[in-house]
Formats: sequence, structure tokens, C-alpha cells
Amino acid sequence: MSDITATDAVPSAPRKGSLLEQDARTKRRNAAETRFKMYGIIAVTLGILALVMLVVSIVSNGASAFQQTYITLEVDLPEDRLDPEGNRNRDQMARVSTFGYGPLIGEAMEAQIAALGIEIEELGNPGDIVSKEAPAQLRNFVLANPDVVGSTVTFEFLANGRIDGYMKDRVTRATALLDKNVSPAQLDLTDALGEAGVLEKRFNWAFITAPDASGQRPEAAGLGVAIVGSFYMMLVVLILALPIGVAASIYLEEFAPKNRFTDLIEVNIANLAAVPSIVFGILGLAIFINFAGLPQSAPIVGGLVLTLMTLPTIIIATRASLKSVPPSIREAALGVGASKMQTVFHHVLPLAAPGILTGTIIGLAQALGETAPLLLIGMVAFVREFPAGPPEGFFDPASALPVQVYNWTQRSDPAFVERASGAIIVLLIFLVIMNAIAILLRRRFERRW
Amino acid sequence: MNDMRLTERAVDSKDVKIAARKVQVFYGETHAIKDVDVDIDDKTVTAFIGPSGCGKSTFLRCINRMNDTIDVARVEGDIHLDGEDIYNPKVDPVQLRAKVGMVFQKPNPFPKSIYDNVAYGPKIHGLAKNKAELDEIVERALRRGAIWDEVKDRLQEPGTGLSGGQQQRLCIARAVATEPEVLLMDEPCSALDPIATAQVEELIDELKQNYSVVIVTHSMQQAARVSQKTAFFHLGYLVEYGETGQIFTNPKDSRTESYITGRIG
Repeated sequence: MSDITATDAVPSAPRKGSLLEQDARTKRRNAAETRFKMYGIIAVTLGILALVMLVVSIVSNGASAFQQTYITLEVDLPEDRLDPEGNRNRDQMARVSTFGYGPLIGEAMEAQIAALGIEIEELGNPGDIVSKEAPAQLRNFVLANPDVVGSTVTFEFLANGRIDGYMKDRVTRATALLDKNVSPAQLDLTDALGEAGVLEKRFNWAFITAPDASGQRPEAAGLGVAIVGSFYMMLVVLILALPIGVAASIYLEEFAPKNRFTDLIEVNIANLAAVPSIVFGILGLAIFINFAGLPQSAPIVGGLVLTLMTLPTIIIATRASLKSVPPSIREAALGVGASKMQTVFHHVLPLAAPGILTGTIIGLAQALGETAPLLLIGMVAFVREFPAGPPEGFFDPASALPVQVYNWTQRSDPAFVERASGAIIVLLIFLVIMNAIAILLRRRFERRW
Repeated sequence: MNDMRLTERAVDSKDVKIAARKVQVFYGETHAIKDVDVDIDDKTVTAFIGPSGCGKSTFLRCINRMNDTIDVARVEGDIHLDGEDIYNPKVDPVQLRAKVGMVFQKPNPFPKSIYDNVAYGPKIHGLAKNKAELDEIVERALRRGAIWDEVKDRLQEPGTGLSGGQQQRLCIARAVATEPEVLLMDEPCSALDPIATAQVEELIDELKQNYSVVIVTHSMQQAARVSQKTAFFHLGYLVEYGETGQIFTNPKDSRTESYITGRIG
């Protein structure tokens, strides 16, 4: 060992090359390293660029969906036209259809224009700048409050989609000339009403709370039913997938003997995670709707299908986090005489919990954004009625956020472009919140040993 | 170190606590332990020495059936604890492990408070009727683990925050908290510095008043320091078993001599 035969003489020159200059081999290695770093930086930059472009395009298209143009009008509700019998009987009043209410809005508009002293040529019916939704809105209000008939009521109506588009710079006078749904004269009227404060653009809660509307009325379309439907489905997925997934993983990881059969199960779970989601949709259609007879378009079926889809994700994540608990903890627990189950539930599971929760939330987020299987089980239908509260609501028809996006992108009215992008923003916000919760949980409960 | 007085070390003949006969252990196809016969005395420190992979840890883990947790491991032969066959199908390994405590090579406290670490065993075995009794058990165990004075003011702090030596003593306290009759130690000092090692060895010396201690060690000095009896394992065989003084000064088998003098291993 200690063969220190130090001599005073310091070697005058290094034997093999100087340390101060790199030899060819070192230079090549350093160049390779620099190149590799460059590839990495390029890859990361491309990724960030794609993300930025995505966010910019969605936000620039969709932000305007959260604003809507409203027109405030004072509407006369004459008794002779709305309640010819004069007895305020709801059923008899209901005979007057929305066509009976339409002209009232036109008249209110004319009165408003006259009161403001606005004069515009070739205007046509000034009521056309109000949404087609307005007569129905008025009728619903009158039928709900029959006593208002005969008086004058102040209403806030949605502006027509084109007028709203004009307020958001989507429609210009040039495009209005080519469009039979809107005329430059109506745009002049819009400007005049805007100056008078009768017409204004503001935050649009209805986009989040209202149900979907037909293709003719983009200004009234909202995400309410889709959000409720998605929420119900997430609830079903959480209630089913978390316990089933965790129980399956604990059994497979901690209790099951390691043999061919469990190997087969393991391989199949890994494969299930890679099965295209539309296949789960077909499975759901065949089993839950055709065989089990569950209703179409219902969140319960959507939830079941998404549960099947999410289970492999949760099982894989749970098994990975169970595996990452050091075996020394298990040995310690077994060593003091804990049973297998006590070991798992007292020591292993608490340590694996952050990983399990993270996996579950990521699985849920995946399920939240899933569209294809829902198309097959009928959740793509046009649903205007809100589902009831749980649990009955699970069986009522509903929509889902990603399906609503898909639906809106199919419609011809250009106003649905902003609606679809706005819905994507809402969906992304939910996903970001869920992922943030996952990260927070991991940070909060992560233990080191 | 001061193993000069080894020969003078008296070994009283004591009751046999653990008797193993013709023990074989297989890991799948590998025959890890071959025909081991050994009698381990009560209230004695018995050391298992031998080169890496010789099977001493494997044999140790047979005594509290920790090998059961390894799927491919198979144990044959008889091991009797106080005359009872521990591999009898009627024996629940959980009950056995309450009687035969174990301390592992790497300190492995639970990621819980110091108090909960020690209280866990007594809790699951129902040794304490109430909180006061549990407190008492925890204090007694921590005192026996020679760590009470260091941790008494911070029982609610995590056990993983202690130093390596303290963690190992905490693990010993955890093992003695369930009042075992045998304490198995699998290289308890291999992750510790010399000062912590000395503390643990002192502790082992005290523990032999109440327990039968079996310790696996790679350090022959340690075996010489703490044990009264020593067993030398080689390639799965128990080569020689006897009083520590005799094994270290006058080994009968040439392989033992070679190992002790550093020629094999």
C-alpha cells in the first residue's frame, strides 16, 4: 500500500501530451456533447413554441366568447295580444306562441329608436338586430309572471349573433353587404344604440350557465349542460375507478402470487391502457346501452365508459407508486409482527397515497378531455334541458365539454368559432386546475426516507 | 479490538432457545442453505460470521420466517423455538414475529413520529390498554434502546430526522417494544460510524440480560467483542459453531481459520 517513494525531481515534461491542450479525442467528445445539448434545446424550444401558438390561437379566438352584446329595451305587454281572454290563465295565455311575441320586440325597438331620434334609411324591421332567442325569453317571462301583462317592462335582450360579431370586429360593413342576415343599415343602428348606451357588450355569464342553443342562435349558446354532464361523469369515474383501481393494484402488487396468470393480467392491463378510446365507446354501446339497457346520452353510461378507460391508467400509476415504497418499510412492519394487510394499510398505502392521488387526477383529467367514446353512446346529442340533481340526473341526457366543442365546430355560423374556442378555454382551465391539484398534492404529501 | 481476553470469557451453559435441524433453504433453483444444525442459547449473544453470500442472513431470516415474504424462497428442515416447530402450518408468522424481533441492516424507521415508531408494535399486538400504559411501554423501550435521553423532548418529531446511529437505536427500541424473546440483528452496524457502532454494541451487551440475541456481522472484531457464541458459515454450510473464544483462537476447521486470518472471504 504505502509505497511512497517520493523523489525530489519533478518530471520536466509531461509524458503524454499536455493537459493544457485538448487532444483530438477529447475535442470530438466535447463536440458531440455540445451537439447533443443543441438538439435538446431545439426540441424544448419547438415544444414551447407549439404550446404558445396553441394558447395564443385559442385565446385570441375564444376570449370574445366570454363577452356578449346586450340590448336594453322597454317592452309594452298589451293585454289584447297576450291574454285575449283577459283572465291571466297560464294555459290559455300559452296559446300565444313566440310568433305573437316577436312583433312586440320590433315595436319596442321602433319606439326606442324614435325616442332617441335616430334616423336610418333602409333599416327594415329594427327588431332583427335582437336575437331570435328574445321572443322565447319574453314569452317565458310573461308565462311565469302573468301579472305583468298590460304593463311596460324593461328587458335585456341578447343582440343577434351578427350584431354581436360587429361589436367584436368579426363582422364589418364590407361583409355585411354580402350577408343576407345583416345589413349596413343595421350596423349604423348598432353604432347609434351603442352611443346612446342602449346596446352594450359585457361579461357573459350565460356562456357558462346557459344550455346549448340551435345553430341559428349562436349568441344564446352556453356550456351549462356540458359542464354539468362532464361533472357528473367525473363523479361516476371517481366513485368507480378509484376504489376498483386501488383495490386491484394493491392485490396485484402486494398479495397476488407471481405466476403466469398474474403476468397475463399485468400484460393485459398495460395493453388496455393503449387501446384506442373509441373502442371503449363501442364496448359501452354494446354492453351498457344495448345489453344492460341504460339510457342513451346519459352521464352514467359516459361515466362507466370513461371508468373502463381510466382504470388502466389508475392501476398503472398506483402500482408504480406502491412499488416505489422502499421494501425496507415493509420489512420493518413485518418485523414487528404486523400482518400483511396491516403492513399495506398502515405503512405502504399512506406512503403511496400522493402517487395514487396524482395518478387518479391525471386519469380523471384524461377522461374529462375524452370525446370519441362519448360520441358513440349518444352524448353528442343536442341537449337543452339540464339534467336533474344526482342521483337521478345521472340517467338524464346531458352533454360533455369536449363533445360540445366538437358539436360547435360542426356548425356553420361563424359565431360558433368563438364559442368552440371559448369552450376549449373552459376545458383547459378545468384541466389546468386538476393538474395543479395533482402537483400540489404530490408536493404536500411527498415524504422522503 | 481488545479480544485478548477472549479465552477467559466464560460461557455458562444455558437453555437452548432455538434449535435448528437439517435446515435447507432454496431460492428458486439455488440451494442457499445446506443442512444447518445449530442450537442457539437463551440470554446469549450468538454471532453469525462468514463471507458475503454464505447464507448467514438467509438463515437468520428463517428464524422469524421473513423468508416467507419472498415468493421463490423455500425452507425445509425443522426450526424449534422453545421446543415448538415454527414451520408448523398452525403457526401464524405474525405471532412468531412478535416473539422474534428483528433489526435490519439499514436503519428503517417508519416515516412517522419517534413515538409512533415505537408504539406501533405494542398497538397492533394490543399490549397496552390505554394511553398511559402505551406511554410507559414507549419510554421503557426507548430507554432499553439507549436513546431515551436523546429523544425524550421530541417524541413527536419524525423518526427519519434522526442521525443514522440514532435511527438504528430507534429501530432496536421498536423491536424490543413488543417484548420479544429473541432479537435477530442483520448487520445492524454496517451503516453506522464507529461511535454509533460502539453505542449499539454496548446496547447488545445489555440486551442479552433479557433476550437471546442473534447477530449477523461482517466484522470479525465485532463478533469477537459482543458475542459469546459464534457460528461460521461458508457457501451455505455451517462450518463451525462454538464458543467465540474457541472459534477465534483455536478454530477446529481449516476454513474457519482461513477466514479469520483473512485468507478467504
